[in-house]
Amino acid sequence: MEDLSMHIADLLENSFRAGAKHVELRLSLLRGTLRLEVNDDGSGMDGDLLRKAADPFFTTKRHGKRIGLGLPLFLQTVEELGGTLEVSTRPGGGTRVRAEIPWHHPDRPPLGDLAETVVPIILTSPGVEFRIVLEGNGERIELDTERLKEELGISCLTPEAMGPLMRMVREAMDRVGLKEGA
Amino acid sequence: MRPEELKEIREKAKARLGLRSGDVRVRIVVGMGTSGIAAGAREVLKALLEEVSRRNLTDVAVTQTGERGLAAKEPVVEVHEGDRITVYGEVDEALARRIVVEHVVNGHPIQDRIIEVREVVG
Repeated sequence: MEDLSMHIADLLENSFRAGAKHVELRLSLLRGTLRLEVNDDGSGMDGDLLRKAADPFFTTKRHGKRIGLGLPLFLQTVEELGGTLEVSTRPGGGTRVRAEIPWHHPDRPPLGDLAETVVPIILTSPGVEFRIVLEGNGERIELDTERLKEELGISCLTPEAMGPLMRMVREAMDRVGLKEGA
Repeated sequence: MRPEELKEIREKAKARLGLRSGDVRVRIVVGMGTSGIAAGAREVLKALLEEVSRRNLTDVAVTQTGERGLAAKEPVVEVHEGDRITVYGEVDEALARRIVVEHVVNGHPIQDRIIEVREVVG
């Protein structure tokens, strides 16, 4: 069983492959439902491509359109849990993938280590700005790489930021009730 | 985030950027497509970042890319040095650290784990 953070990594990869320069990951745990959302400003998809994107045996990567296997795998997981998955996209207009999953479903995959998944991706994606929004327990916590760099007066986040950023993500997840590995 | 952590990020980033002169000497690229992630590319990426950071390798950049068409050999790590690209396959955390130490730092590619060497022409 693939943990949810692996699906998140897949969705982020799809955003990069679509040429996104801004990627937003939102995770909220409200009234027993986990809402997971990835928004990007990448190339988007037309209707035909979107229909095909749910086919695990379809990829247009070789032709430069950059759709991945991640979406069908995620769709399968969401359907098995009786959740919903919604993809909003248009050519040139970015893509939003939004899923709602019952948090207490006995077959729900563990969340996994989100910090270890997301932070290395952030640090190895030059030219892409990330915004992570975590909500739950009456709290809303944001990490915005563009704003963080501005505040720190630095032009890029270097590998040395991995430890502090991971701690920050883990602390934030604890505060909103999304325990690592839960 | 605690103030001391922000300070740590800032100081280290500034030190690294201040030290960097000219182009990056070595670029390490990790395949992070679906098959790569499933095979452990996430742990490999983290190990590479840790090793580069720990050794203060200011002329080394770690980046990621998508599928490389080498699914059977994932996780795949490429070491780009000038016109030469050395491709390692089935990389785990331990091999990732060896790549940094033996290949990138000491200049000795790990021959028995290389699956391809490409020369970029033109």
